Amino acid sequence: MREPMYEKDLTAMKYAILESRRHDGMVREIAAEIGVPQLRMRRYLMDRFDMLLLENLPARYEQGKKIREDSPEPERQLGSHLYTHAVPIIDREAMEQILKSVREMVRKGTPLDQAIHSGRERMRKEITA
Amino acid sequence: MTKRTVDVSIPVGPVHPCWKEPARVKCETRGEFVLSAEVELGYMKKGIERIMRGRPWQEVMFLAERVCGICSVIHNMVFIEALEKISAIPVPERAALLRVIVNELDRMQSHILANFSYCYTIEHETLGMYLLDTRERVMDELERITGARVTCAYIVPGGVRFDLRPEDAHHLRAGLDALERDITRYMGMFEHGPLIALRSRGIGILTREAAEEAYAVGPTARASGIPGIDRRLRHPTYQKLGFAPVSRQEGDNFARIMVRFQEVLQSIGLIRKCLDILPEGPIRGGGIPGAGEIAYSGEAPRGELSYFIRTDEAGRVVEISIQTPSIMNIEACCHYMLKGVASLADVPSTFVSSDPCIACTER
Repeated sequence: MREPMYEKDLTAMKYAILESRRHDGMVREIAAEIGVPQLRMRRYLMDRFDMLLLENLPARYEQGKKIREDSPEPERQLGSHLYTHAVPIIDREAMEQILKSVREMVRKGTPLDQAIHSGRERMRKEITA
Repeated sequence: MTKRTVDVSIPVGPVHPCWKEPARVKCETRGEFVLSAEVELGYMKKGIERIMRGRPWQEVMFLAERVCGICSVIHNMVFIEALEKISAIPVPERAALLRVIVNELDRMQSHILANFSYCYTIEHETLGMYLLDTRERVMDELERITGARVTCAYIVPGGVRFDLRPEDAHHLRAGLDALERDITRYMGMFEHGPLIALRSRGIGILTREAAEEAYAVGPTARASGIPGIDRRLRHPTYQKLGFAPVSRQEGDNFARIMVRFQEVLQSIGLIRKCLDILPEGPIRGGGIPGAGEIAYSGEAPRGELSYFIRTDEAGRVVEISIQTPSIMNIEACCHYMLKGVASLADVPSTFVSSDPCIACTER
């Protein structure tokens, strides 16, 4: 099938955006927190976001981190607002489910750290699925 | 994942008669209603950050101005002030106030150009041409002080390049009086024009929450009720002048244009204050930039402009990263303002109302 001539492959340009110092630092931080390889995270961001959102990610990330600090637990540790609004790498419904399960675990007596670890594991699966 | 069914995907740009620079906005529409929009860049990438790396500051200072052809003074100012912070270079009082005068003149011409673009886009060419004529007079004042209209290279480490002669100060005061009179009149035309209201009020709304989420900056954020997002509030010279930002609550195209008009009048007031308190004295204190690293921000006409700079002992720029305000504002425009616009005809005007600078965005 012939593609319209104005539909370009933007992969190289998106990668160029993510190569910048600020973007690289942000990707490293997110990848380390969620436990995903950096290359995989870059690919995920390139597939999911348009060029402009990619350009603006570091500013959004910094803004999201400030909001995160004021959030209650377990939202703060999981970064639920950060990863669904500021840097929307996880769907809001999926994050709601993760939060629900973490709260449920805590309610049943699981230590918070362990519940958060389990929540992060589910976040990682959302990204690598 | 289910595929979304839409009527048609309409590309606007990359070349559009109303846009100053090329960018392509892909709009997914259902009839006239815009469901979502996406911007594609890459038509004028300069790679200027890469060109800057490894060069001495004396060269990078001229390159920094060339990031943006509209607001070149603030790039010059932020870059030089960052170098001054790295090496603790003091700036004489007179030079600091002259910097504010030139920076505010630059802001005025940028805002007037943005409002011209908007009026031209909604086909109010009369007001557009009035504004363009007014901008020329601001550019003339800029040229009179700095010797150049666009890339002035006026600000240097430890001061400014040229002093303000008494006859230039007198000319500037007279010019400001005329500009204030004209801008007030044009602002009234814009505010009370019924056709302008039809194309501007309640269109392209950016709510306060969305502006915060996208980290919108400058007049775009201030038109959505976020006055605190102005770097001038943290600048010592502006603090001395008693600066207080302008803001509105509506968050629509109308508010963004009105904020710019109000800021032009505010700039006139700031320049007058500077002229009133301008002390006699040197305009250059000397000092040579050395090694160090800093992240420094200033308020460009479009919002917060940030430079991260690392220099070596010889003053060479080893690492540099520039975050321009248009990145945040265009993102806010595409993902929030354009989403849900009732008519495709409002897409260009809404896009222009966020004052997009593609040269800045692509660097």
